[in-house]
Amino acid sequence: MRGRFRVCRADDLPPGERLVVDLGGRSVGVFNVAGRFYALHNRCPHRGGPLCLGPLTGLTRATADFDYAYGDEGRIVRCAWHGWEFEIESGRAVIDPRVRAKTFPVEIENGDVVVRIGDA
Amino acid sequence: MIDCDVHNQWPSAEVLLPYLDPPFRDFLARGELPGPPGSLPHAHRPWLHPEGFRRTDVPAPEEGDTDDHYEALRTQLLDRYELEYAVLTGEEAIEVSTLANGRYATALARAYNDWLVADWLPRDARLRGSLVVAPQDPHGAAEEIRRLGGHPGIVQVLVSTGAQRPYGDPFYVPIWEAAGELGLPVAAHLGGQGGINANPTGCGPPTFFWETHSLLAETGMGHVASVIAHGIFERFPGMHFVLIECGVAWLPALLWRLDADYKALRKETPWLTRLPSEYAREHIRLTTQPLEQPAEQHHLEAVLEAIHGQETLLFASDYPHWDFDDPTTIRLPEAWRADVFAENARTLYGLAASRLEAAATTG
Repeated sequence: MRGRFRVCRADDLPPGERLVVDLGGRSVGVFNVAGRFYALHNRCPHRGGPLCLGPLTGLTRATADFDYAYGDEGRIVRCAWHGWEFEIESGRAVIDPRVRAKTFPVEIENGDVVVRIGDA
Repeated sequence: MIDCDVHNQWPSAEVLLPYLDPPFRDFLARGELPGPPGSLPHAHRPWLHPEGFRRTDVPAPEEGDTDDHYEALRTQLLDRYELEYAVLTGEEAIEVSTLANGRYATALARAYNDWLVADWLPRDARLRGSLVVAPQDPHGAAEEIRRLGGHPGIVQVLVSTGAQRPYGDPFYVPIWEAAGELGLPVAAHLGGQGGINANPTGCGPPTFFWETHSLLAETGMGHVASVIAHGIFERFPGMHFVLIECGVAWLPALLWRLDADYKALRKETPWLTRLPSEYAREHIRLTTQPLEQPAEQHHLEAVLEAIHGQETLLFASDYPHWDFDDPTTIRLPEAWRADVFAENARTLYGLAASRLEAAATTG
């Protein structure tokens, strides 16, 4: 179902928080990542699990000498079922960027967080 | 045809005496042995073969014997099957991995390698050697690889599948570094179950020899998972790991599981850039013997297809052992024969086309 949905007041969704809401019959996760808002379909492209209910984390990368480097705190959501990591901003799976969770545009209008679904 | 697992016998481990450093010559000449005179110092596995390891039509070394039975190997294997090359894997030498004294183990491995190069390789242009090292002494092993790994007759580094820890463990990095420098694959052959090495079966010791023999592929699984997870093929991009005599049909199931678990828990091994199955296809080779023999041949073919067997399998007979595979009777897809029986090994080991083959090709 397409449309423009007011989710909450921007002030009510501080950085590092998320809301999972029903928008016209579709479950959508709305995230505030360091002051920027993003929305993801709450359905993991791996096995259909509730992606947006999973932990918000950073990303472990490798250093050139095969050690760990941790960063990007809060920019990753791990699916609640099988733990696949997704970049919240792009919806891309870290393991395979060709795998993407559906993203929706988010705008702030008069202090409200508005998610646009479809062409509305 | 290239046979990638051929066991060269010795009449007695005393052939190593002239090649041992003096302190270890003293150990071998005067010290305790695990069997009769002529046996190799090692810790034996707790499963004893109720018949003995050799095909009974192959002459076995006896006490006082001075013959290493090259003639039998030549007539029963090299000539009979018109082999281009046979990759020798020793008989007991890899069992040095079971010894607690890593320096003694390395000394025995060195002596074996010198004996191999001096006594076996010059005898027949078809023979190629595996450089045995003692994995419990990674620095000694690396030194040995640098000492002799450049010999033109040596095609790989060889360890036992029995090990203290799986081979991707950082403990073994000196071995991978040295093999990488020399451009040699690292191979693990079934063996080394005993002594200091980990129990080869996870739920405790099985009882019977045949029961155990089927289960020993477990160690191969552990090594495959370990070398992939630790990023050996990221650190050493040209490296190959060869698994000898562990069977092959279990590999697809393992890779499917590794791929699934890696996708969920990638963060433990962020140095990986590809799926475990993709590393396996490019960097892991398995010898065919003992090739699984299902009642329905298409079951095996589906499994081998799943691991891209045409690219990843290397024919091996395991001559002269009791579970020998005859190259004329093992069943593989017809279209794979050229690759599995020769070309994969030729590429892996950098073997030239033999004169025989070259003549056949140029007509």
